[in-house]
Amino acid sequence: MSKQDFLSQFDQIAAILPLQGKARAIIHNGLDFPTIRDEYWKYTRTASITNGIFKQNNPAIESLDGYLIPALDAHLVVFVNGEYSKELSNSNLPQGIKVVALSEASASDKDAMCEHLGLHINSENQAFNTLNTSYFKDVAFVKVEDNVEVTKPIHVLSICAGDNQAVNMRNLVVLGANSKANVITQFEGEGNTDSFTNVVSEVVVGDAAKGGLYIIQNEGETTSHINSTQVSQSNSSQFSVITVTKSGKLVRNNLNYSVNGEGCESNMYGVYFTRDNQHVDNHTYVDHLQPNCNSNELYKGVMNDKSTGVFNGKIMVQREAQKTNAFQSNQNILLSDTASIFTKPELEIYADDVKCSHGCTVGQLDEEATFYLQSRGLSKDDATKLLIQAFASDVMEKVEIEALRDSLETFIHNQFAV
Amino acid sequence: MSDFLKIKGLKASIEGNQILKGIDLEINPGEVHAIMGPNGSGKSTLSSVLAGREEYVVDGGEVSFLGHDLLDLAPEERAREGLFLAFQYPVEIPGVSNINFLKAAINAKRKHQGLEDISAKDFMMMVKEKQALVELKQSLANRSVNEGFSGGEKKRNEIFQMAMLEPKLGILDETDSGLDIDALQIVANGVNKLKREDNAFIVITHYQRLLNYVVPDFVHVLYNGRIVKSGDKSLALELESKGYDWIINELEPA
Repeated sequence: MSKQDFLSQFDQIAAILPLQGKARAIIHNGLDFPTIRDEYWKYTRTASITNGIFKQNNPAIESLDGYLIPALDAHLVVFVNGEYSKELSNSNLPQGIKVVALSEASASDKDAMCEHLGLHINSENQAFNTLNTSYFKDVAFVKVEDNVEVTKPIHVLSICAGDNQAVNMRNLVVLGANSKANVITQFEGEGNTDSFTNVVSEVVVGDAAKGGLYIIQNEGETTSHINSTQVSQSNSSQFSVITVTKSGKLVRNNLNYSVNGEGCESNMYGVYFTRDNQHVDNHTYVDHLQPNCNSNELYKGVMNDKSTGVFNGKIMVQREAQKTNAFQSNQNILLSDTASIFTKPELEIYADDVKCSHGCTVGQLDEEATFYLQSRGLSKDDATKLLIQAFASDVMEKVEIEALRDSLETFIHNQFAV
Repeated sequence: MSDFLKIKGLKASIEGNQILKGIDLEINPGEVHAIMGPNGSGKSTLSSVLAGREEYVVDGGEVSFLGHDLLDLAPEERAREGLFLAFQYPVEIPGVSNINFLKAAINAKRKHQGLEDISAKDFMMMVKEKQALVELKQSLANRSVNEGFSGGEKKRNEIFQMAMLEPKLGILDETDSGLDIDALQIVANGVNKLKREDNAFIVITHYQRLLNYVVPDFVHVLYNGRIVKSGDKSLALELESKGYDWIINELEPA
C-alpha cells in the first residue's frame, strides 16, 4: 500500500485547527513512515500498520463496566475513538482545574490550548506524530492553574471501539507554576480486532510543579499502539511518567523529556508483560539542557512465549547541564526460550561534571528462589507469580495512586495464573 | 514398626555423578538424628533429595514418609505433608515480604489439610510468639525474605520459618555453619523448644559443636554416599577428638 493510499483513509476527517493543515502538508509530501533502516526503529516493523486498511467509526459505548479501575476516585473523562464522550464522562472539577475536550472548549480555553498544542512534540520529522497532528478529531486538555493542588487523579480513559479502527488520540497537559496533579491515561479496546491507536501527549510542567503521567496500555491483542509523550519541564519541577503495557499486538512508546529548567527531577518508570507474538518497544530520551537536574529511569519486562521486547534509553547531557545525575536501568526476565529482548542504553555527555550510569540485565526466574518458595509449601505457579510480582515491585511502588497500584498488582497476579 | 520416615537403598546422582550410593535410615517420631561426615560425603545431597531438589536424579531406592512415597511428591507437596528443610544457604528474595510469604506458605499447608485460611489475628499472634522463640528482630520479619540479612540472621530466619510451619520432620542442613556461639545457641534453643513427641529432626553438621546444644539420639557417619557407622551421641564426641580417618581406615584397611 502506498503512503498516499494509507493517508487517503484519513483525509475525510475535517481539520479543526490550522496546525492540522500544516501537518497534513508535511506528511503528504516529504515525510515517510519509519522503517527498520531507521536506527530507532531497527527492531520494530510498522508495515502492518502502514499497510493496514482502517475505518473511522464512532460507535456508542453503553457502559464502562470492565474498564474502570476498581475503587479509583478520579476526575473521569472518556474518549471513544479519539472523540470526547460527554455521557460517559464524569468530572466535577474544583476551582483551578480544567479538563475539557477541544470539541467542548470555550474560545478562551481554545486559546489556552493553542498556546501549547503542537509546540512541544516533534511533528516535523516523526511521521506518527505528524499523522496524529494531522488527523486528531479532538483533544483532551488538562490545565491546572498556578498554585493549585489536584488531590484526585485526572483519569483520561480512551476506548478504541470496533474492528479495523484507526484512532488518533491527542492529550495536552499543562501544569501551572507550583501546581500538583496526576494524570492517568488509560487505553482500552472493545471488540477492536486489527485496530490501531496512535497517541500523542504533550505535557508542560511549570516552575516548581509536581506531577505524574500514567500510561496504562490494555487494548486488544490484535491492536497496535504507538504512543509518543513529550514532557517539557521548567525550573525546579518534578515529573514522573509510568508506563504499564498489559496488552497489545505491537506497542511502541516514545517518551521524550526536555528538561529546560534547573533543579528538575525527571522520572521514567515502566513495566511490560508480553506473551504470544506480542512486540513491545520502549524508546526513551531525556535531554538535560540545564544544570543541577536528576533523572531516574527504571524499566522492567517479563516476556513469555515468542514475544519480543525492545528497550532503548538515551540520556543526553548538554554542555550547560553541569551537575546532572542521570541513572538508567532496564531489567528483563525471559520466561521462555523463544522470547527475546533487544536492550540498549545510550549516554551522550557534553558536560564534564556529571554522574551518569546505565545498566541492563536479561535473565530467567531464579530457580533457587523458586525452589526455596516451593520447599515452604507454595506451588510452582504461586512461587512464579510471587517472584514476578517481586520483580515488578520496585516499579509498582512508584505508582502512588493506591487503587491503580492494586489493580495492577491484581493484573500481574492473574496474568501469570495458570 | 513406625511409619514415619524410612529410607531404603537410596541412590542419587547429579550431572551423572552418583553421590548417594545406597542410604538406609529409619527415623521415628520424637527422635533427633545427627548426620556427620567429611566434605563431599553426600550430606547436603541427602537433604536436597529429601526436599525434592530437581537437579538430583534418584537412581534407586525408596523413601516413605508418613505413608507416602516421598520421592513421588513435588517439593511443595512434601512441605505440605510436614517436611521442612532449613537451607544451608538461605536464598535472598528481594521484593517478597517475609511475612506475606509465610502467610502464603501456611495457608497452602492449611488448604492441603482441608482447613480455612489462618485469620489475620491468629497469624500475627503466631508471628509474635515464634519471633520471640528464635529472638528474631521484628524488623527482620517484615523485610524482604533474607534480603540484606547477616549470615546469622538468615539462619535464625530459617528456624523462625520452621517454627511457623510446625513440620513433622525438620532437616537442618549445616545450619550451624558460619554461626557465632550466641547465634548457635539461639538456633539450638529454637530446635529444642520445637522438639515434641510427634516430630523428628535430622541435623546435618560438619562439627560436633551444635550437638552440645541439640543432643542427638543417634549419630550417623556418612562417607562416600553411604552411612558407614551409627551410634549414640558419644560417637560425635569421638569424631570430634579423633577425626574421620579412623572410620575410613576401618573401612579401607591400608
